Amino acid sequence: MATVKAHLPGTFYRRPDPESEPYVNEGDTVSAGDVVGIIEVMKSFHEVKSEEDGTVSKILVENEDAVDAGQEVLELG
Amino acid sequence: MSGTDLASPRYSYGGDEYVFVELAEGMSLSVNFRAMAITNKLKEENIKGITDICPSNASYMVRIDPDIIHPDKLIERLKEIDDEVGSASGFELHTRVVDVPVMMEDPWTHETLMRFRDRHQDPDATDLEYSARINGYDDKDGFIAALMNSPWMVTMIGFVPGLPWCYQLVPPDEQVEVPKYVRPRTFTPKHAFGFGGGFAVVYSVQGAGGYQLYGIAAAPVLDVSQTLKDFKDSIVFPKPGDIFNYRNVGEEEFEEITAKVEDGSFEYRIRDFTFHADKSLADPHTYNDEIKGVLYGD
Amino acid sequence: MAIKVLKPGLLTTVQDAGRIGDYALGMPPSGAMDSFSYRAGNYLVGNEDGAAGLEITYFGPELAFTEDAVIALTGAELPPKINGDECPTWEALRVRAGDVLTFDYLKNGARAYLSVAGGVDVPEFLGSRSTYTLIGLGGFEGRALAEGDEVPIGSSDDSASRVGKKVDDKHIPRFGKEAELRVIVGLASYRLTEESMEEFLSVEWTVTPDADRIGYRYRGGELRFVEREQPAGAGSDPANVVDFGYPVGSIQVPGGVEPIVLLNDAVTGGGYATIGTVISVDRGRLAQTKTNDKTKFVSVSLEEALQARKERREELAAIRESLG
Repeated sequence: MATVKAHLPGTFYRRPDPESEPYVNEGDTVSAGDVVGIIEVMKSFHEVKSEEDGTVSKILVENEDAVDAGQEVLELG
Repeated sequence: MSGTDLASPRYSYGGDEYVFVELAEGMSLSVNFRAMAITNKLKEENIKGITDICPSNASYMVRIDPDIIHPDKLIERLKEIDDEVGSASGFELHTRVVDVPVMMEDPWTHETLMRFRDRHQDPDATDLEYSARINGYDDKDGFIAALMNSPWMVTMIGFVPGLPWCYQLVPPDEQVEVPKYVRPRTFTPKHAFGFGGGFAVVYSVQGAGGYQLYGIAAAPVLDVSQTLKDFKDSIVFPKPGDIFNYRNVGEEEFEEITAKVEDGSFEYRIRDFTFHADKSLADPHTYNDEIKGVLYGD
Repeated sequence: MAIKVLKPGLLTTVQDAGRIGDYALGMPPSGAMDSFSYRAGNYLVGNEDGAAGLEITYFGPELAFTEDAVIALTGAELPPKINGDECPTWEALRVRAGDVLTFDYLKNGARAYLSVAGGVDVPEFLGSRSTYTLIGLGGFEGRALAEGDEVPIGSSDDSASRVGKKVDDKHIPRFGKEAELRVIVGLASYRLTEESMEEFLSVEWTVTPDADRIGYRYRGGELRFVEREQPAGAGSDPANVVDFGYPVGSIQVPGGVEPIVLLNDAVTGGGYATIGTVISVDRGRLAQTKTNDKTKFVSVSLEEALQARKERREELAAIRESLG
């Protein structure tokens, strides 16, 4: 099964700002290059992108969770 | 002595590489003269193992290589120098008086301060209006006049390269005092003329900042490319002990100066001056007239 | 000889031992944040002390070599690959013209160092090649590396003989997710209440995302200042003092709540009360902590700090000697 990994350690956010909808929800289809979340580190925000096409089968982290580099943040079915 | 002066300086280790000496908790011209007298004397001694000597407002800091000189050994010598300097009465400073043109209430800092109103003590006033009011001035014009009428001593350089902290050469009851922003701004324009605590500054580069914003300096205090004549020997123009006279210029003169800065022909108006601390402390206003006479007299 | 930047990584900068001697102008030292790993890298490839290398932060770049070279990777566990094959760290390696160096995800630590025989050969500014991005000076055009850059490398004489030399395992630091940093309490520590100083030294602090070459901000406790009538010139906030100098490694508490440790690119002075300083030896360990890692601050005496400094110096000398 394909997964999307965090490329950086930091704080993971599922939405661009508190007022917005999440980038993706379970069941959404994504294409390679789509943004699925952002990571805050070193006083700035960095987009996490899917490397493959697929359907989001499971989101593995909560909004504002601490993530490690290489940690799986969602599964693609 | 004011109530905040320390009976004896507070010597402290800043880790293993720094010695930090707080002469007083409160700012006064006399304590800054002491800091300058001590650090000037220390510089003359060329002690091995000292890499940086940083005079500051009411304190000073020395960076050392502790493999060469033990911090306690340095502190021992600093205490002796402190005794020799004493109250710094009779302190003489061979320095320069500089005309520093600023445009007060300029469009750039105005735009900035309006943008960050939600981080300010008084969102409904400008920084100048607020500062004038809390310092007992009827209006901002009287406040601006007070800042422009008496010269300032550069009492510390730092924060970012080239930024001068300036303390006005006026009696304690005339010193302006303002708080910093409630939450710092994320942006300050380059060359902004600001005020925080008891100090006026010129921001050398753009960046974050928390000082009240009043105007903008027409010429740089930092020139990394060293193209301007006044920066030939150092990328930083101000030196501790410089006397700056801030002068409010209109839009026309501001643009003339900016053009000269751009074509590389700008030079600060500078006059050599031997500053006598005693005269300044005894009768600052009369002495300030003399200082300004030297600067603008010819 | 040059290194071509195919992808820059998160923040890859040219750094050396730092720009020392201009603190009074407001110039912070910059330089490699973990000086132990940086120095060991230079020893491996046979460079002089002070030669410039690349500091790689959190996420590695993709780099191509225009000619044969000898390199070493030290510091954080950021697994390197040459042309896709894993390669060892803390060891002098031969790379060939056209080889591409990439990295896997960061495992431990925060900053890796790439040393190249001959050193990164950008112009010196005020005696150092270190990058100070805030005002854009030093390093490669005063900024972090970007895609398409060609970073010049100096020449070296006998680098071939270095290949295969390794730093002994016993000298290689391990960076876990918990760090203990030694601090000399002092500076304006009198501003903190006694309970707050105890709290500062007992709380397990968490590194926030607000952590970079300028400073590291922590959360986990709430520190308070002694109430006082603010002295002349200080400003009205209890966290404020009459602006003074900040040592590199000094700890301040701007909001009166969360501590910040100032590091290599920090401001050199300002109006926030400082309460102590991380000792020079442990600044490197601090630089290898990352967002969400845990940190405890431990109070030590000056003599303990100087002893640690001496041991560090001896260890580096031993490494240098072992590499011949």
